[in-house]
Amino acid sequence: MLFSSHRVFRTKRSSPMKLLLILFCWFTGSAFGQLAWDTTEQTFDSKPQDKEVLAKYKFTNTGTKPIKIQNVRTSCGCTTAALSKTDYAPGESGEIEAKFTFSGRTGKQEKAIVVATSANPEQPTILKLHVNIEETVKIDPEVVLWRVGEQPDPKAIHIAIAADASVKIVSVTSDNPALKVKLTEVKPGREYEAQITPESMAQPAAATLMIQTDYPPDNPEMKYAYARIK
Amino acid sequence: MILLAAVVPASLTAAFHPRRPPWSQEVLAEGEERLPTVLAWGESVFWVDARSADEYEAEHVPGAFLLNLESWDQLFPEFLDRWTPEKKVVVYCSAASCELSREVAERLRKSGISSVFVLKGGWEAWKAGK
Repeated sequence: MLFSSHRVFRTKRSSPMKLLLILFCWFTGSAFGQLAWDTTEQTFDSKPQDKEVLAKYKFTNTGTKPIKIQNVRTSCGCTTAALSKTDYAPGESGEIEAKFTFSGRTGKQEKAIVVATSANPEQPTILKLHVNIEETVKIDPEVVLWRVGEQPDPKAIHIAIAADASVKIVSVTSDNPALKVKLTEVKPGREYEAQITPESMAQPAAATLMIQTDYPPDNPEMKYAYARIK
Repeated sequence: MILLAAVVPASLTAAFHPRRPPWSQEVLAEGEERLPTVLAWGESVFWVDARSADEYEAEHVPGAFLLNLESWDQLFPEFLDRWTPEKKVVVYCSAASCELSREVAERLRKSGISSVFVLKGGWEAWKAGK
């Protein structure tokens, strides 16, 4: 990335543009210090069984002086960054290993790892980690709510299975008989609807809806949705 | 000359326009609220602490409920039991740059909970402003 930028700067430009490019080059150089990174940005697509992602960011000290990595911090407690040592001689290479633990996160995630070095402590390098976490079983909404005294109309929870996932919904059960649930298959193996019907609206009630899947086969996962009369 | 012609009126607008944005306050992100606004809501606020259980145990906003993504399945049912739809949910975490409060707020909204906000400045803003 760093090298491709330098190639751009060698092309012929008009004078004001050249000045701007030289300034940009100077700022870019400052931001990266003298650690040349193989890449500062990585993207991963998770698989249904994945719980975490490991990303390695390799670098080389391309300068003429030793560089100390003074600080590595992450944008989220869900991401850790490991470094085997902090001091790198000229020409020496190393890597930062970032681990992002999903912990219930879904969809597009962007995490940052901020690396400050002795070469330029005021302008740390920001490494970016993009992860697309596929939601194998999507429950929408996760909560259905009624107010005490309103009509006991049924409410539906839509359950969708990701296109490339081989998961089926085996059953949906309610832990409260006062909030009954009925499962219907809308598109075979792909979309389901759980219809929840309250028996009485006279007083508050709560139910946890247990959505039993058949995946993974050795220990099938249970998903949850919730019904409340408040 | 063209640059000068643009800079002079722009500077005057920035300095004197009655609806110019304040210089001292950062712009609020979508769904964010500042502490004075939240405090003005009074009793209608349901505080949610999106930090770790250890940080919560050490100290938290009085009455705040612990809810984080790491223990969502265990904590969310109790949240639903304690929350009432009339309340505004205000989520905070440990620093202005913390993502956890935004993530928890987003998950709450996706779950079907309305009126969910993130406290700008997080726990530090609360400590400084109480």
